[in-house]
Amino acid sequence: MTEARAGGKPILNVEDVHLSFGGIKAVNGATFDVREGSITALIGPNGAGKTTLFNVITGFYKAQAGEITYNGESIFGKPPYAITKRGMVRTFQITKALGAMPVIDNMLLAAPRNPGENLATLLARRRAVRQREREAYEHAYELLRTFNLEDKANDYAATLSGGQRKLLELARALMTEPRMVLLDEPMAGINPSLGRRLLEHMERLRTEEGVTFLFVEHDMEVVMNHSDEVIVMALGRVIARGTPEEVRSDQRVVDAYLGGSSETDVPEGPPTPPPTEAEGGVQGG
Amino acid sequence: MISLPLAISFDFLTAWEFWIGVGVLAGIYGIFVLGLQLNVGYTGIVNFGQAGFMAIGAYSAIILVVEVGLPFLLALLLSILITMAIGVLIGMPSLRLRADYFAIATIAFSEIVRDIAQNARGLTGGNQGTLSLELENDVFFTDPWFKVSDWIAENVLDPIGLGGREFENLPLLIVVWIALGLLAIGMTLLIRSPWGRVLRAIREDEDAARALGKNVFSYKLQSLAIAAGLGAIAGWFLAFNLQSVSQDNFEPLYTFLGYAILVLGGMATFGGVLVGSIILWTVLEGFRFLDLPLSADKQAALRFMVVGVVLILLMAFRPQGAFGKREEMVLGD
Amino acid sequence: MLAIIALLLIIAEGLQPFAQRSVNGLVAGSYFALGAIGLTLVYGILKLVNFAHGDTLTLGAYIGFFFNVTLGLPIFLAILFAVVLVGLFGVATEKVMWRPMRRKRAGMLQLLLMALGLAFVLRNAIQFVAGTQPRALDVDVTSTYTFLDLTIGRTELYVVITGFVVLSAVAWMLRSTRLGREMRALADNFDLAETTGIDTGRVVYITWFLAAGLAGLAGVLVVASSGSLNPNTGFFLLLPIFAAVVLGGIGNAFGALAGGIVIGLAQEWSTLVFAPEWKVAVSFVVLIIVLIIRPQGIFGRERTL
Repeated sequence: MTEARAGGKPILNVEDVHLSFGGIKAVNGATFDVREGSITALIGPNGAGKTTLFNVITGFYKAQAGEITYNGESIFGKPPYAITKRGMVRTFQITKALGAMPVIDNMLLAAPRNPGENLATLLARRRAVRQREREAYEHAYELLRTFNLEDKANDYAATLSGGQRKLLELARALMTEPRMVLLDEPMAGINPSLGRRLLEHMERLRTEEGVTFLFVEHDMEVVMNHSDEVIVMALGRVIARGTPEEVRSDQRVVDAYLGGSSETDVPEGPPTPPPTEAEGGVQGG
Repeated sequence: MISLPLAISFDFLTAWEFWIGVGVLAGIYGIFVLGLQLNVGYTGIVNFGQAGFMAIGAYSAIILVVEVGLPFLLALLLSILITMAIGVLIGMPSLRLRADYFAIATIAFSEIVRDIAQNARGLTGGNQGTLSLELENDVFFTDPWFKVSDWIAENVLDPIGLGGREFENLPLLIVVWIALGLLAIGMTLLIRSPWGRVLRAIREDEDAARALGKNVFSYKLQSLAIAAGLGAIAGWFLAFNLQSVSQDNFEPLYTFLGYAILVLGGMATFGGVLVGSIILWTVLEGFRFLDLPLSADKQAALRFMVVGVVLILLMAFRPQGAFGKREEMVLGD
Repeated sequence: MLAIIALLLIIAEGLQPFAQRSVNGLVAGSYFALGAIGLTLVYGILKLVNFAHGDTLTLGAYIGFFFNVTLGLPIFLAILFAVVLVGLFGVATEKVMWRPMRRKRAGMLQLLLMALGLAFVLRNAIQFVAGTQPRALDVDVTSTYTFLDLTIGRTELYVVITGFVVLSAVAWMLRSTRLGREMRALADNFDLAETTGIDTGRVVYITWFLAAGLAGLAGVLVVASSGSLNPNTGFFLLLPIFAAVVLGGIGNAFGALAGGIVIGLAQEWSTLVFAPEWKVAVSFVVLIIVLIIRPQGIFGRERTL
């Protein structure tokens, strides 16, 4: 389960990671890798440790043991901002759109290598600062257009609907010009047609620019039809991996979803149907 | 004729000395609170040590001139650098703590500074104030300032008829408000810059800022250091105004009044700070004109009680402050 | 670690001075502990440090003064009045200020500034009514007891005894009664405790009564042992008390008790090495060190700070 599949070298390598909180073992020896330029799904019943693992990989939690290598470099224990700077960005299950700031500011914040954000260069290199801001504005509007949010650019992010905020977070993540994006339940709360646009955009980024996507999802339609690889977690460890077809017919996976071999996990039923319009829906698209 | 038990003298409305005095205090504390506005209103860090920074700024400038013998402007420059360096030093261990712990750590810092100011008599003049240092060394910190002040009085004010005794403090008022204006404009430009944008993101959601590649800790340190610098500048002007400072000019009371100003002004803009400061000092000093049959102690206590009550009421019913915008309010978290 | 420091000091300065300071330290420690327990219990409810706690001590001291000196009642009766009245004051602040703000889901900064505002109003109201001149209680400040070459003032002895008796009673109550367990649960993790079916309304009011009452008691004891009272007395005690709370682990009542005693001892021991005017700075330094090295305190759990 630790070998990279033929044809792509791994961009992310997670090796035997362990994390406990107050007596509960949330991640129990998780090991897997993600091929560069793939769209990889991370699935598993509730409580399997998926979001926790995301938090560990992106530096928000510190694991007690294990090794995490990204792009050839160990990122175990590095703080979140350093990991984002290295090209790995994430979204959150409960969106963290900055509601007290306008949508466009949310986007501009994500623009990397902005000399205006450094006090010294802000004062000393005025022209470079102005130029970067202009570029960032253009890129931001492009992305907002893709997600149908450009009309809302000057509104406070708090005025967006839940689904729109999710899209904003996604657009913002893409704004960082990442090499790898970790998405925590990207489809939840988004109407299907907009969700399709999102997936198209992801697939295009993957094919044209080699961006890697790792996402946690419960929507099996998305997982089966749009991912190159699937990793299955249960009870804090990886129990299966492979192509969607391989995983679907893997008995261990079926067991994990339908049965529960341990007392700490609440077994989830069969995969949930795709979510319908939530919170008033998303305009357009 | 029924005589009112409370007589209010309205002479103060035309008393130049009064208004100039209020203006000077409002200006000094305006600069002081610019720092708090940056910290609390824009970065989300609750700095209760601002009086400590003011003290370090004032004392270091005075000591450098009076004991070390440095030229005036160099001493001023060094005192800002020293205060900012101490700000960074204090921030490094404490900024990792959550808001109320950080608040208490900064109060502790401020009290240690005051303790040192009081007890290290050789260095600071102790309870007798910096005047005792100046008398010992026969060097007076405010001399260069008075040269400037006299120049302004002779060449700017006299010609327009404002040279009389009641306008004595007018040069200070002018200089303080010019400084305050420039600093407020500078801070406003700063907060509108990409750097300021990062701060505002940090105020709302640190983890989101981290996830976007921002080194939150570093930005908080910068914010604290700048506030320390502003506190130092306010400290110089306080020294010019009082001519001798001692530890009781830097009691936590003043940081607290700073917060009252912050809240009055709305915590939303640097401009609001100026308004809040004027309001607070007008009210505090204006109390003197209420001819209440009370002793000085009681009057002082009453003034501060009113400030406390206003603060409580504002926080309970209008937390965005008197002039703030509801949507920008991130206090309710 | 404490033992090591103690040993070093004994070696350096001699047993008698050390023991004498320890006695003084226990006196101070007893009222620090009383104040600290209250502060830490309330922390869980407010989810922040009650800046007005120091001035609650002052309030207790002045009420005690009023009954003892102005009305001439014996000191222990005055103490009783002080404890009860300040306790009721605490309940009143909960009813009028904190409960409504909690219901409004007020943010931390709001509450912090309100607590500060309250501290200010309290201190200045006391000053308004009672003036700034120092007061003293009508207690015996001259007679002393000597035992094994150690001296302790008669009043100070009573202070320590009272302090330790009350502390023991409170500790017993917190440990062994159901109410005590509920109070501790609330102090440690309010939201979690709410889900376990504790009648939070009632327990919160009782906690406030106890916390404020203990603070009032501490206030009277401070003045009894130090001999002087002014409107700022309580505020100056707030920082050592807070140091004690943090040292013991915020939200942990037993930790606060231990922390109070340690801070009292530490302050007095410091006079063996430094000049006495730096005594108060010691608690500030301890506070900062604890915040840097182990912010959850000695007995605290690692929590998101």
